[in-house]
Amino acid sequence: MTATAPSATVAGESAESAPSRGLRAWLARHPLAAYAIRRFGLYLVELWGALTIAFFFFRMIPGDPIQTLIQTLQQNYVYNQAASAEVIARYQTEFGLDGNIFTQYLKYMQNLILHGDLGPSLINYPTPAQDVILRSLPWTIGLLGIAAAMSWVLGVIIGAIAGWRRGKLGSTIITNLSIALSHVPFFFVALILVYVFAYTLGMLPARSAYDSTITPGFSPDFIGSVIKYGFLPAMSIVLIGTFSWILSTRMLMVPVLGEDYLVYAEAKGLKPWRILTRYALRNCYLPQITAFGISLGFIFNGNVLVEQLFNYPGLGSTLVTAIQQLDFNTILGVTDMAIFSVLTAVLLLDLLLPLLDPRVKYWK
Amino acid sequence: MRLLTATGHTIRHSPRLATGLALLALMILLAVLSPVLVDAIGNGKDPLELATYERWLVPSSDHLLGTDQFGRDVLAMVISATSVSLQIGAIAGVISTVVGVIVAFVAGYKGGWVDNVLSTFTGILLVIPTFPLLIALSAYAKNVSLFQVGVMISIFSWPFAAKTIRSQVLSLRSRPYVDLARVSKARDLEIIVTELLPNLLPFIGVGFASSALGAIFGLVGLEVIGLGPGGVIDLGQIIFNAINTGALTLGAWPMFVVPIVLLTVLFAALNMINIGLEEVYNPRLRGVAGE
Repeated sequence: MTATAPSATVAGESAESAPSRGLRAWLARHPLAAYAIRRFGLYLVELWGALTIAFFFFRMIPGDPIQTLIQTLQQNYVYNQAASAEVIARYQTEFGLDGNIFTQYLKYMQNLILHGDLGPSLINYPTPAQDVILRSLPWTIGLLGIAAAMSWVLGVIIGAIAGWRRGKLGSTIITNLSIALSHVPFFFVALILVYVFAYTLGMLPARSAYDSTITPGFSPDFIGSVIKYGFLPAMSIVLIGTFSWILSTRMLMVPVLGEDYLVYAEAKGLKPWRILTRYALRNCYLPQITAFGISLGFIFNGNVLVEQLFNYPGLGSTLVTAIQQLDFNTILGVTDMAIFSVLTAVLLLDLLLPLLDPRVKYWK
Repeated sequence: MRLLTATGHTIRHSPRLATGLALLALMILLAVLSPVLVDAIGNGKDPLELATYERWLVPSSDHLLGTDQFGRDVLAMVISATSVSLQIGAIAGVISTVVGVIVAFVAGYKGGWVDNVLSTFTGILLVIPTFPLLIALSAYAKNVSLFQVGVMISIFSWPFAAKTIRSQVLSLRSRPYVDLARVSKARDLEIIVTELLPNLLPFIGVGFASSALGAIFGLVGLEVIGLGPGGVIDLGQIIFNAINTGALTLGAWPMFVVPIVLLTVLFAALNMINIGLEEVYNPRLRGVAGE
């Protein structure tokens, strides 16, 4: 699997660098378009490479999902006969596990690319894995997305102020606190919060995403219940996430503060708040937007544990259940989703950034 | 010797780096002394053996942190678990730093298509979410040892080290003193070892600290969902036990609060070392991250 990715890269590049003469001249005249095409080509190579590595990685893991399924069926339906070879072969075809690993791979990629089909899920057979994933996706996006956005906004504001008032006691305390706490896993904070607010004080629920006595729907009761149940998991992410945004914003902010145009703005008699928001912050929030986009792609990575702790019905919990049941198609599907969202976020930002900031010139 | 004085000088001038190193040294000391400390706590008995004491004792002068559901002394467990957590950090940190450094040097120093291929490959590995792969790997690799878990974790953590170090190699490669070495017919390996490596030590340090941090948390994560290596107790497993046996509802807070505090201190120390090193070797950042 190591050998496939590089050779493909080389092939991709040689194909790119050998267009007709007219096309090459056109590209030379349109550097932005040439950059966009190159960047998109790289995106495709990376996407393909990552999906391929993930596929072969999960197939290499020993374990027989069909046996697991048949055992589950036997337990559930008191189906005590040993499964016949025919039944097993039928299931293997269903789950894309027949033939050698390369035919399996080709079939998987074909279904994925042409039909967006991830194959049936084992735990929820015959529901397709993509449906299982899509069912839990809104919970993850809702919880993590809102928490991530909140910590970004808070972190950039506090970080900018901490940079602005550098050397002052408050700023020093906040900076050192951020350095100490920005790498603490969300999960630890979640555990402490659960203990204090759910078990000791009994103020907030410790598990699940909403009150099961309320029927889901767009009623005020249900929405209120979702907010109440989501409060603790979201808080644990916001608390730590904010610290790391404070730290990085401050790092971007302080070099800007020594610039001549800020001295000039001050000399003009502008109010400090205006200098901070219109002159200083403008120059450091762009890299932070990039970083935010990338972190959104990665967000799900560190939050499996938080979802697991709160028994939150999101992607993380789905993943853990799938792994415990050897549900290959769902595991791979969740991984593929994460890969796709990270790469796409980075691609969009790389393409958008030159438009947002005239100083960015990647294509040179 | 010159290197030692330089290191001493660096540490003296960065309080943040010094604090981080001191905290880390304390943790390592605790880990090294853990057999002695555990013996002292047991006072003739083995405090880690099942049913040595009564179950669920509350903290008292005999058992500073109480006992768990099997009648083991929580303080003794925490101390020996700290040493396991540090070991996994060291194993995975060393492996991923070594691999990362080699890849970074080959890519950054050779340049050209070698760099293209290696960087693309590193980039691809970076976007694959680590945690699902790690869970999957350890769920099916039965009876894994601590060392094997360390190797598994480093498979996914070396790209981070490689990426940081490669960009530094690129900026150092075109420095005049490297050119000088090249025109005086020094071999590639010689240039890398005598000219580049010493200048990259701080970044290698940063790479090591980050990988170690990731590995320790990776193992905690595995333990918390119940999939760790067999036969050893690390801080994550104590937390997992606490959650699973209902320590949360029973109010046996030392079982999870103490491991979390220890790990938080460890993470803070590693992060201080990271930022301290970056400040020292990137004067533009000096005073930026701190004060």
